[in-house]
Amino acid sequence: MKKAIPFFLVALTLTACEKEPNLNQLSSDLIVYTDYDQKCDFGNYATFAIPDSILVLSNSSKPIYYSADDPRTIAIIGAFTSEMEQRGFVQTDDTQNADLGVQVSYVKNTNTIVSYATSNPYWWYGYGYYWPCSYWNPYYWGWGPYYGYPITYSYTVGSLIAEIVAIKDADATTKKLPVVWTAYMAGIMSSNQLDLTRTLSGIYQAFEQSPYIAAQ
Amino acid sequence: MKKLSVITCAITLCIAALSPLRSDAQWIKPMYFNVDWQFNAPVSNDYADVASGWGMNFETGYYVIPHLAVGVYFSYHTNHKYVGEQVLQLSNTSSLYTDQQHSIFQMPFGALLKYSIVKGKHWEPYLTMKVGAMYAQMNSYTQVVKFYDNSWGFNMQPEAGVTFYPMPHKRCGIHLAIYYNFSSNKNKTLTYDIDCYNNIGFHLGVAF
Repeated sequence: MKKAIPFFLVALTLTACEKEPNLNQLSSDLIVYTDYDQKCDFGNYATFAIPDSILVLSNSSKPIYYSADDPRTIAIIGAFTSEMEQRGFVQTDDTQNADLGVQVSYVKNTNTIVSYATSNPYWWYGYGYYWPCSYWNPYYWGWGPYYGYPITYSYTVGSLIAEIVAIKDADATTKKLPVVWTAYMAGIMSSNQLDLTRTLSGIYQAFEQSPYIAAQ
Repeated sequence: MKKLSVITCAITLCIAALSPLRSDAQWIKPMYFNVDWQFNAPVSNDYADVASGWGMNFETGYYVIPHLAVGVYFSYHTNHKYVGEQVLQLSNTSSLYTDQQHSIFQMPFGALLKYSIVKGKHWEPYLTMKVGAMYAQMNSYTQVVKFYDNSWGFNMQPEAGVTFYPMPHKRCGIHLAIYYNFSSNKNKTLTYDIDCYNNIGFHLGVAF
């Protein structure tokens, strides 16, 4: 018996219990997650506005953007604009009077925690700066209500977050703007740089799996 | 009549177990140990149904009578399956586009009853029934995140095998067995459900 115990221990040590799969077999393709407010009828909206820059989420407390003349911004904003127009929405530069607003953020070098719960109505936290409601309307201060259920995600480095905000349905009492659609795309980097081809594929996939986004 | 048949069978088994057989002189040690490599194929789910050899089996027992041993067992196994890109409808409103590596990890353990049919000089065929609990983990690996669900369930493993002793006086042999493994675990990950685990496989290892 005493001789057998070391043999058992050696055998257990040499054979790690759980064998992880070959993760290299996973393609370097995208992960695209989308969600929307089921109470939202996109047919009630006709126009949309989209900023000409992309917010870069980092550990900085000050806003950093990919500027409007950056080729990546031109391509990414162009893809969102094109998809929205194909769904029947008309672009406008009037952010306060547009029906919908599309805001795009790139998670560059922070592990972003995105959380909302009825007991903790702070949608964004975990990093220094996010899109302010006042971008769309200077009289509004908060995001919400959201999807009607508590939700928490951890967004990793090198991902793109896009949201559609229903400016038309802003709550004048609470001074909040409802987010009616969100998309999260991971796997858009290659060689530690934003891969534009993958990013655009992610945007097209996000709209493809969101057929409910359509103007009347 | 039925009750009588059961009693008759039980008595026959006891007599068979207690009866001295041809090679009982070879029976020296009351304890035995098996350390085996395990090959396993899930048969009741298509979540991760690719047969694999990523597992081990350990058991030890004590012969309370020459042909009947009681003991304990512990084994573990992992099976995988690659699933290509698809859109998963996670809820009425949320969708996820990804490819996945499905993985199931099973770890049964418990008590066993082993009946040695013949205790020959070189060959020792046997039947074993194992009963215990099983821990199971159902995993879905994506490029950036792992979704998983754990569960506990009842485990039952009938097994038939043979131990070959090339040098009987040393009681160190080669062990080969086939088994069927049933567990009552229930798991749910993303849009996938597993209700009970069924596996078939074999053990190949050493006995001493």
